[in-house]
Amino acid sequence: MPEKRISIHATRYDPEHDKEPRLQTYDIPFSDESMVVLDALNYIKSHVDGSLSYRWSCRMGICGSCGMMVNGTPKLTCSAFLRDYWPRAVVVQPLNNFPLIRDLVIDMDDFMHKLKSIKPWIIRKQEIPLGAGEHRQTSDQIDEFRQFSECINCMLCYAACPVYGLNNEFLGPAATALARRYNLDSRDEGLKQRLPVLAESEGVWECSFVGECSVVCPKGVDPAKAIQQTKLDTTMRFVLPYGNRE
Amino acid sequence: MSTSEANATPREYPWRMPANWWTRSRHYFWYIVREFTAVPLALWLLWLLVEIKRAGDGPARYSPHGSAPFVIFSVVVLLFSLYHSFTFLSLAGSILHFKLLDRPVSASVIVMSQFAAWAVASGVIGFFLVWLGR
Amino acid sequence: MDFESYDVLVVGGGLAGLRAAIAAVEANPRVKVGLVSKVYPMRSHTVSAEGGAAAVMRPEDSYQTHAFDTIKGSDYLADQDVVEAFVREAPLEIIQMEHWGCPWSRDPDGKISVRPFGGMTTWRTCFAADKSGFHMLHTVFQTSLKYPQITRHDEAFVTKLLIEDSRCVGVVALDIRTGRFDAITAKTTILATGGLGRVYAFSTNGNICTGDGMALAYRAGVGLKDMEMVQFHPTGLPFTGILITEAVRGEGGYLLNNGGERFLKRYVPNKMELGPRDIISRAMITEFEEGRGFEGPHGKYMHLDVRHLGEAVIDRKLPFMRELGREFVGIDIVKDPIPVRPVQHYMMGGVDADISGETPILGLYAAGECANVGLNGGNRLGSNSLSECLVFGAAAGRAAAHYASSAKPVTANPVDAMLWDEAHRVETEYLEKKSGNERIAVIREEMQKEMDDGAGVFRTREGLSKLVRNLGGLRERFEKVKIEDSSRTFNTEILAALELDFMLEVSSAVAFSALAREESRGAHARRDFPERDDAKFLKHTLAFHTKTLAPRLEYRDVTITNFKPQARTY
Repeated sequence: MPEKRISIHATRYDPEHDKEPRLQTYDIPFSDESMVVLDALNYIKSHVDGSLSYRWSCRMGICGSCGMMVNGTPKLTCSAFLRDYWPRAVVVQPLNNFPLIRDLVIDMDDFMHKLKSIKPWIIRKQEIPLGAGEHRQTSDQIDEFRQFSECINCMLCYAACPVYGLNNEFLGPAATALARRYNLDSRDEGLKQRLPVLAESEGVWECSFVGECSVVCPKGVDPAKAIQQTKLDTTMRFVLPYGNRE
Repeated sequence: MSTSEANATPREYPWRMPANWWTRSRHYFWYIVREFTAVPLALWLLWLLVEIKRAGDGPARYSPHGSAPFVIFSVVVLLFSLYHSFTFLSLAGSILHFKLLDRPVSASVIVMSQFAAWAVASGVIGFFLVWLGR
Repeated sequence: MDFESYDVLVVGGGLAGLRAAIAAVEANPRVKVGLVSKVYPMRSHTVSAEGGAAAVMRPEDSYQTHAFDTIKGSDYLADQDVVEAFVREAPLEIIQMEHWGCPWSRDPDGKISVRPFGGMTTWRTCFAADKSGFHMLHTVFQTSLKYPQITRHDEAFVTKLLIEDSRCVGVVALDIRTGRFDAITAKTTILATGGLGRVYAFSTNGNICTGDGMALAYRAGVGLKDMEMVQFHPTGLPFTGILITEAVRGEGGYLLNNGGERFLKRYVPNKMELGPRDIISRAMITEFEEGRGFEGPHGKYMHLDVRHLGEAVIDRKLPFMRELGREFVGIDIVKDPIPVRPVQHYMMGGVDADISGETPILGLYAAGECANVGLNGGNRLGSNSLSECLVFGAAAGRAAAHYASSAKPVTANPVDAMLWDEAHRVETEYLEKKSGNERIAVIREEMQKEMDDGAGVFRTREGLSKLVRNLGGLRERFEKVKIEDSSRTFNTEILAALELDFMLEVSSAVAFSALAREESRGAHARRDFPERDDAKFLKHTLAFHTKTLAPRLEYRDVTITNFKPQARTY
């Protein structure tokens, strides 16, 4: 039986030589049903073309490095199985909506700044000393924010968000979800400090609820929900300045 | 010295949103359709303002029923506004957060109660309109 | 030349590195801290840790038993003073993580919950479902963002330590995006670069775990301690090597051979599935060899069965395992057993460092998996490593901040020359060399296969001698490596070459240290020397870099305080 093969069209862009990104085609063996798109890229880099650049590490869907557009959809390439595409070709491109550094590597510094801007840490009026032990927190209280704490910063939601694509000043899905994660934490008292960032003109009100961020999230986070809930938070603060939790 | 926070890499290829982006996925397409249904709604409301203005000038100038194309237009707009109401109220389930007897109220209950409240409100308003117009 | 100077420079953005950075700032708010990492910190491999972090959290537990479990687990190769200090600090670090927002799983009364873990005599592993490392890393990373004293250099790869008059004064780093070499100078440098799992073909470790910090220190003259002690985790998924957490057994999962038998009754009858990792991995290999494993397309495997736990427990405590099963194996662990086999997981050995992370080189510290502070000895107990990152990361950060406040500043003059030399070396050895014909990946794959074969769960003199020989051959071939990528922008092929250079270095340290330890202790199991030999080998191996591939080996006595070595049975 002839060896099973699959075509991979991968974006190539080297700012030192190329004016704009182009697709390069690699025809590689599809030797194992367990192969994922990332395995295909690794095969290319190892055995065909060592100059192909992309990020990856854990290959178990938790480090968040290997997000790319696979046939037009943002995916973690470590869990996008070739068998779901074969015999069609697979087009692998860098995540949409970000500046491109090289080949499949995007510049995500913008997110790093946004993450910092929402103060993603526990804010308290009075910190309790270590000797006093832990804050008590029930499982129900954790359930309030659990899903928003599952964000792996993989940027698939930003790649799926046309609002961000049209205006990258928009705070965006993951940063808002993480702000929500802290705002909902029973140990946190920082809502008041985060709301100005969330409520400003490029904050949550930019969102016109496309909803695609929640569709593509590989970790079951619902950033669209976080954003709509935060809209309600900012409204309540306007309507009832002293009514909400601080 | 270089911090990746301090200086951006030279010659990055900037992202440009293609003009046809909304045709590239079914979700984007329906999102744009949803957004654009607001345009006829706005037109219809402008017309309503004109009608109200006319009604203020006395019954002689008031002719609310208009032409057949306009009735069709109004029906379409009604469908659009129902669609908007539907998407808005469905969303409520994921936005609103209630607790009843210390247990979170499920999203479907919230959505159903929104629709129920909507139906009741429509009924009450309808009743008053009919009652006043009698 | 323009260069950045810090009081404390942390190399590595995982749990130990971030904890060190914060500890330095909290110890002295005036210190300037730099954090250089070859990936964005939240990509660090801490993110893949699953089961939890051990600490004495319950009144019925005691420091004494945590210390004893750890020392017995280490097969008496741990330094007992270090272990005793560690167990006292660990609970405070768990509480600190809680104050920073870590979503620890809770008991009904709202206190941090604990679960049983292998080799621990009581329940003391704190956990955030089965994504403990992920939650801890993101918590400590996000918390680090609030300190303006910490400046990050993301995606910069350290190629060399700057050593001036036997003092470490910073690093040379390659900015991956621009291809530019920079000297990042500092009064103190903390290595927290993680493990070396990628020297093996079958490993739970991510692509970034290439032993960089160990190789950097090794080349600078610091000894690598106990490098023969490589941990094999009993339960990795065949093919991918993805880790299935020990917490699966902690929560009551069974390990079954092809006869459906809980075979561990023949090896660790009193502990069964909660035996230590080294012994269970050996038990599985023995069962395979005796024909009691399942045969699959990717080799032999056992069944890890959690079906009897029920969906509710699995979804509450092991949701990520269910996700991994679904995503990567196509099974639902509620209904199907999980195929598993032993897989390289962790490096007990590492940069020789003391209880506060200090190495023999002034101004150089090490913490976390890349360091060997003497905690884990011959075999680390599951869930001690996340706690280790916190305790010893914090200790190194404090010690470095303290030393930096009195150390004299770094001068530009010698640094410039060292930077130029190092940039020149990498340029000529890799970027500008056109003559090579060896593929990086081919050498890497051969090295990985050699390491799997020669320095796996069981070792022999023949196997290790062959490994040593073949590593020598691979080193020679590496000199002729070919770089196809001529770009300076995000050149991951250069990175792969630099990493392979480091990996060849540390794998030789592993092979030679293993060849010289003619006994079986902890994870180091010699078929030709099956017994532990306390008379000759109750000692740490120290491997020092030489001009040849073979390190110079020295030995150092283990510190014994309260626990006399006994036979290690479970």
